Amino acid sequence: MISMKKGIGASEGIGIGYILKLEEPILNIPNSPVENAHDEFIRFQNIVNIFIEKTLAMANILKMQTGEKEAEILEGHVAIIQDPSIIDGVKEKIEEGLCAEQALSNVCQTFIDIFSATKDPLTMERITDIEDVKTRMLKLLMGIEEVSLAALPQNTILVAKDFTPSMTVGLSKKHVIGILTELGGYTSHSAILARSLGIPAVLNIKDLLQETKNGQEAILDGESGIVFLSPDAATKAQYQQEQQTFLENKKSLQTYKGKPTCTKDGVTVDLLCNIGSLKDAKDALDCDGEGIGLFRTEFLFMERNSLPTEEEQFEAYKEVAKIFGNKPITIRTLDIGGDKEIPYLNLEKEENPFLGYRAIRICLSQTDLFRTQLRSILRASAYGNIQILLPFITSLEELRAAKEIIEETKRELSEKNIPFKKDIPIGVMIETPAATLISHLFAKESDFFSIGTNDLIQYTIAVDRGNTQISNLYTPYHPAVLRAISHIITCAKKEGIPVCMCGEAAADPQLIPLLLSYGLDKFSVGPNSVLNTRKIIAKWDKKNADSLATQVSALTTTDEIKKLLTLH
Amino acid sequence: MVSKKTTIINQQGLHMRPASEFAKVVTKYDCNVILRINDRDFNGKSVMNIISSCAKYGTEVEIICDGPKEEEALKEAVALIESGFGE
Repeated sequence: MISMKKGIGASEGIGIGYILKLEEPILNIPNSPVENAHDEFIRFQNIVNIFIEKTLAMANILKMQTGEKEAEILEGHVAIIQDPSIIDGVKEKIEEGLCAEQALSNVCQTFIDIFSATKDPLTMERITDIEDVKTRMLKLLMGIEEVSLAALPQNTILVAKDFTPSMTVGLSKKHVIGILTELGGYTSHSAILARSLGIPAVLNIKDLLQETKNGQEAILDGESGIVFLSPDAATKAQYQQEQQTFLENKKSLQTYKGKPTCTKDGVTVDLLCNIGSLKDAKDALDCDGEGIGLFRTEFLFMERNSLPTEEEQFEAYKEVAKIFGNKPITIRTLDIGGDKEIPYLNLEKEENPFLGYRAIRICLSQTDLFRTQLRSILRASAYGNIQILLPFITSLEELRAAKEIIEETKRELSEKNIPFKKDIPIGVMIETPAATLISHLFAKESDFFSIGTNDLIQYTIAVDRGNTQISNLYTPYHPAVLRAISHIITCAKKEGIPVCMCGEAAADPQLIPLLLSYGLDKFSVGPNSVLNTRKIIAKWDKKNADSLATQVSALTTTDEIKKLLTLH
Repeated sequence: MVSKKTTIINQQGLHMRPASEFAKVVTKYDCNVILRINDRDFNGKSVMNIISSCAKYGTEVEIICDGPKEEEALKEAVALIESGFGE
């Protein structure tokens, strides 16, 4: 009989197929006495070597499938099996007369017990890793073959409690059309994997393993998180239809590839991408981005022990400049502090980090760090169409001080005959109420604006976007936010400078007509949103967008605005 | 025997990756390496031991090296912890 379940939609798309449960078989660990402890330990060591070889090979495949971070988990498994406490523990148990399988299980259990006793969430998470190492080692010791995910029947929906990286190596879209799990969330390994492979996935479904059978038919919707088990004909027909629509929509977006971004009545706007790494830059180009509207430079400063050198930064900026040729690239100077921390800078813990020592405030105080970044950006500007964006500016003093340092850096380079773009544009990120209210002043002293909606909403409505208790208050449809955006664009127009929007709002289909009406020149969105944004922009003409904006400006509450925009 | 006190500065503390890195580095040395945290001793060459210490950002740790090349081992171990493991 049909039953419906709900989980977390973690990878979009609709899958209709048959369930295959990946359950770990119950391993019957042999209890045979060992005649020669020495030989038994050598057998264990040989299997450890095979385990390491296999694990590193899997890590390599995973690196290509989902990236470095996920592969690191497997590399950690190598460290676990080489751990002297594990090796010595196993040796001791074998000498006491246990077989290798028993010895390893006992030793692993000891650590599982120790880890659970700590009651520390991060430490307890590592139990999964010990379990995984134990199971795979036992299978190797007992000669049990792993199920290969590389050869599965067509239309398989994989079901598991949760997928560990080692379980998913070799999984392909060719056979697997859906992934369901009982545990995990949007950022778990299963979710990241599903999205990078483009397989629909619903995670965190209660009692999933108990209520599903191998071969059972199922439907999953990776967006809404809804799953049907043993669907009836009507439900199946409905979802086949939706699947068709989803695929057609995806395909129809492809027709926007390589096309200019313009409204129905021929007003052209720039459609750029937000990026935060070199890989993103390649994605942006593949997804047909017309340039970079926001290049976040924080990645160069993260996951390391010391500041990146001028050369390292220069190489990274030059690399992106080369990818994009003469298309525009807006590089934002370092925006740390707030929720982004860099331990080696030893910044003090603050009561209110979002109102504290962050972004330009750090750069204007630790000017060495700022100058190094500016030198590398300026040097890279000789290789492409680069402009500089200053984050978190709230006063003219800050803008002038930053511009002065840029001028000094330029003079320094000129004296050394190092080439750079002499008239490199300098823009201001408008992301606070203060900057909004004096944007007419900033417009006179800068070359462009970039509206960072994520922060602008947070500071305008005074709502922490990470706080789930008040997340309903965080909305771009608040009349104050819309007025702020409209005001910023009007001020820029008056001085004839272009305005870009680089927050999530720029890709919001319901806001796009308003932004067009306000006169936004550049939309900067995530690489995956490029084609859809282009499609939405093409749907509107000036007259319709203006009429909608006029209606919105007469409304007084967020709900009314949201309701009106949903109708279009 | 030599020892030095230092503080964990990486955000996530001694989780999987830093623990493996630490164990790997000190395993090069023949001397014993102990991490003393809140009056408990953990084998610095064992990933499992280090993780079970639950050392967090800001935790004070005393590193104790005893045996051949203990000075060098201590220096490298302290430097690694103070580098924040590149996080």
